[in-house]
Amino acid sequence: MYRYDEFDHHFVAERSTQFRGQVERRLSGELTEEQFKPLRLQNGLYLQLHAYMLRIAIPYGVLSARQMRQLAFIARKWDRGFGHFTTRQNIQFNWTRLEDAPDILDALAEVEMHAIQTSGNCIRNVTADPYAGVALDEIEDPRVWAEILRQWSTIHPEFTFLPRKFKIAITGAAEDRAAILFHDIGLKIVKGPGGKTGFRVYVGGGQGRTPYVGLPITEFIGRDRLLSFLEAIMRVYNLHGRRDNIYKARIKILVNALGLEEFRTQVEAEWGKLDKPSIDLPEVEQKRIAAYFAALPLKPAPTKDARIDARRRSDEGFDRWMRLNVLPHRVPGHAIVNISLKEPGKIPGDASAAQMEVVADLATRFGNDEIRVTYQQNLVLPNVALRDLDNVYDVLVKADLHTANTELITDIIACPGLDYCNLANARSIPIAQEIALKFADPVKAEAIGPLRLNISGCINACGHHHAGNIGILGVDKKGTEHYQITLGGSPKDDAEIGVIVGPSFTAEALPGAIGTIVETYLSRRTDKSETFVMAYRRLGKAPFRNALYGADAPRGPSDKKEPADV
Amino acid sequence: MPSVVTANNLRSGAVVYLGANGTWVEELIQALVASDADALKVLEAEAAAAVARTEVTAVYAMDVRFVEGRIDPISVRERIRAAHAPTV
Repeated sequence: MYRYDEFDHHFVAERSTQFRGQVERRLSGELTEEQFKPLRLQNGLYLQLHAYMLRIAIPYGVLSARQMRQLAFIARKWDRGFGHFTTRQNIQFNWTRLEDAPDILDALAEVEMHAIQTSGNCIRNVTADPYAGVALDEIEDPRVWAEILRQWSTIHPEFTFLPRKFKIAITGAAEDRAAILFHDIGLKIVKGPGGKTGFRVYVGGGQGRTPYVGLPITEFIGRDRLLSFLEAIMRVYNLHGRRDNIYKARIKILVNALGLEEFRTQVEAEWGKLDKPSIDLPEVEQKRIAAYFAALPLKPAPTKDARIDARRRSDEGFDRWMRLNVLPHRVPGHAIVNISLKEPGKIPGDASAAQMEVVADLATRFGNDEIRVTYQQNLVLPNVALRDLDNVYDVLVKADLHTANTELITDIIACPGLDYCNLANARSIPIAQEIALKFADPVKAEAIGPLRLNISGCINACGHHHAGNIGILGVDKKGTEHYQITLGGSPKDDAEIGVIVGPSFTAEALPGAIGTIVETYLSRRTDKSETFVMAYRRLGKAPFRNALYGADAPRGPSDKKEPADV
Repeated sequence: MPSVVTANNLRSGAVVYLGANGTWVEELIQALVASDADALKVLEAEAAAAVARTEVTAVYAMDVRFVEGRIDPISVRERIRAAHAPTV
């Protein structure tokens, strides 16, 4: 993984010292809240319902064991002993104090971490495929370019005060596991002319109030010209993105207003004017960064292990975990281990300090010191030898981290919602808990098959409800929490925005409604190979709507894609 | 509608309410209730002074009602804030 050089260390330490001074000036009254707010947000510090929340950047979701241990230390010393992993592969601490924030930033700097670019109208933490560098279907490791983009975008003077926040995701694999089509810019590493690798670039995707699936602005751009091309996109957005209306300020609105062709024309015109050699990264620098992500010297090993196979035959829980949470690694005899933070009944994405330390220890003992955070709010040990999987599982069992539900209905993405968030209209966490408990029987959940269920507590869509096969959006109806259901969304290569199925439900009625939807799917699917989203695409929403509301239910404005309740 | 003035403690971020004698209290039961607009103006002036003294931030008035003699926040959001904890 990337290691800070002298410049990075100096920069992060200086930034921390600067913030300490800003906090002191705020506490002394020298700075008003109005003056201080943008400064604290530039360091990831929000004021939420109950306390200050510190959002810490985990660049492209990659952590070392040492960094994870430090996060556990921070959770114990300055929070309430837990942290919340987010849909941007970051971590949030929900109970921090303003006066402790500088000490926390110092503790982060000790392990080459910070909270920069986790808030504000800048290019946010770049996200990536959590299986980067180890996936079987990968063309090239996207972490190299995620790191290059991180360095390019960090306090870039042109991109510090954009019209609105800006999110970039990158994948180097055949399968999109980074939801790149729901990002302001999505990058997919592809083979181009002569077999050279470069990027397909998507622009204008996003969720929130007005969701769009990203559109391809170029089918191929070479590595030697990526940064200048992205800079041209940013310049067109910076110039023409709307600053008069926060709800229309994202690049997706601009791309949609201009149309892709006109937007592309403007980007190419801008690109033509740029001094590309002063922006693009020389090959020698690309190689220098790439060296940090050189493949681990893992020795190929047999893909069968008699002890593991015997355990699978005798231990149903271990077998299910192997089937659902463990994936093949590009090096034979090794595996990718998904660690679910979605035990039914628990808060999705939350991990206690003790659990963080368990994962850090596993990474040290069995995982070549690497941990990943997924945007689905889970953790990954990307490099585990096949022969160690039973040992890893046994440790996870003791820490309640062995839930086998990757990509199943209980693997719910949920934002903090009204229990913590100042923006939320409704609670997300108790809804996620109720639904997960309803499907807690692992045999039942596995029989349903792959099903993304995502919950957001407001239209800002941090819980990715638009991209859920089943999406749930919390709305406030005359002071009461209600929940709108969308169906058919997908965050993958077949990205789609879910469609509202009908009028919203109360919190009490919602789990039953989800049960009805699932039962409708099970009774209508051709066979087990037809997943929920495949069946939905074949059937349309009518059978689900009829099951929920009755065949005679009036069709109304809620048939529109735009939420009707907000 | 009766109302109280709420804020967050500047240093800790904790939810607080304006109580008697310009103090800030964490328990809603100890908050001063303004029964009309004039009374609320007095509370808001006290709160503004506390902001200037860097005691609190994010000040606003919230509607309340009385249920069996106790102050009850009307919105779900304010009930969660008043509990100083998530509902889960």
